Amino acid sequence: MKLSMQLIAAAGAAALLGSAMMSASASAASYAADPASSRLEFTGVQAGAAFKGVFHQFSAAVDFDPAAPASAHIDVTIEVKSVDSGDKDRDDTMRGADIFDAAHFPTAHYVTRSVTRTATGFSAIGALTLRGVTKDVPIEFKFASAAAGTTLSGTAELKRLDFGVGRGDWKNTDWVADSVKVAFSLDLKPKT
Amino acid sequence: MPTQATRYSPLAQIFHWVIAGLIIVQFVLARLAEPLPLGVHKLALLARHKSVGMTILMLAVLRLLWRLWHPAPPLPPGMTRFERIGARATHVAFYVLLFAMPLTGWTMSSAKNYSVSWFGLFTWPNLIGKNEAAFDFLRTTHDTLSDALFAVAVLHILAALKHHFWNRDDVLVRMLPFTKAARRSR
Repeated sequence: MKLSMQLIAAAGAAALLGSAMMSASASAASYAADPASSRLEFTGVQAGAAFKGVFHQFSAAVDFDPAAPASAHIDVTIEVKSVDSGDKDRDDTMRGADIFDAAHFPTAHYVTRSVTRTATGFSAIGALTLRGVTKDVPIEFKFASAAAGTTLSGTAELKRLDFGVGRGDWKNTDWVADSVKVAFSLDLKPKT
Repeated sequence: MPTQATRYSPLAQIFHWVIAGLIIVQFVLARLAEPLPLGVHKLALLARHKSVGMTILMLAVLRLLWRLWHPAPPLPPGMTRFERIGARATHVAFYVLLFAMPLTGWTMSSAKNYSVSWFGLFTWPNLIGKNEAAFDFLRTTHDTLSDALFAVAVLHILAALKHHFWNRDDVLVRMLPFTKAARRSR
């Protein structure tokens, strides 16, 4: 008698838990990237040699349900003055009027318009606003949710001159390549 | 008397003149780049400077190996002990600088976190990590060594001309392609 009561209780708890999981997966969870453990990196090519830089200050809001990627929404705002390529002279040049012009365009913004599932993960089309110019940039990413945490990581590739990043001499693509690779890893915390 | 090589081998001559020409290119590129602000022109000049510098480093390795197996022809008789030591010291200084110049340049680029490309064809690995203090020190060292290289080169050229026009020996001619050593000694 006592045992059967326990079984019924356990079955009821399992059913409750199951329905809770169902409802959780039916609507996208909302996250914000933890700035301390997230990373936004780019790789340019300068005089034939690749160089990496990161943006230290950015925020990302993510609504994502792997079961329903169409409803996903990724919104990233980047403080361009936080650029760090491992050399102060280069960073100051990049913040300057001919490159990012951080004084006039302090932030860059990326927001997805559509997200679809691919064979290996997800891909998204989104609008990147950089130096006051808005253009579509596709990204490829993976979404991993485990006990250790939730991570959204991926890559993109863009042409800097599409956004006017490089005026005057810096339009030259022999010494500074037009193509720039972007890699990101967002450590997502559930929004409370 | 057994015949002994009195001229530098054709390959030794090629090493000598190609490297000498590239060193002049290096001085010109460095002087042109130095006063420029950080911009595309400076990047382009320094990129060429680095590519040529790495070329010199590779040639220096081959040249040193060649030299180890093919000793230089003997100095003409009649040179004083002081002159012999001076000649030897100048040549040793050249070999040291042929390695020290590109190596300090390469390391300095690494310390500044600018990887060195070879004419855009491939990128050399960074020798050290980003390090501001190391960069400042290496930059000063690279500059100082370039002054030393200039001084040694002036001494070397004056000595060669002195041998040729004053002593009238074959010291200059034996390094010149398309010539035959006619005169042996003073």
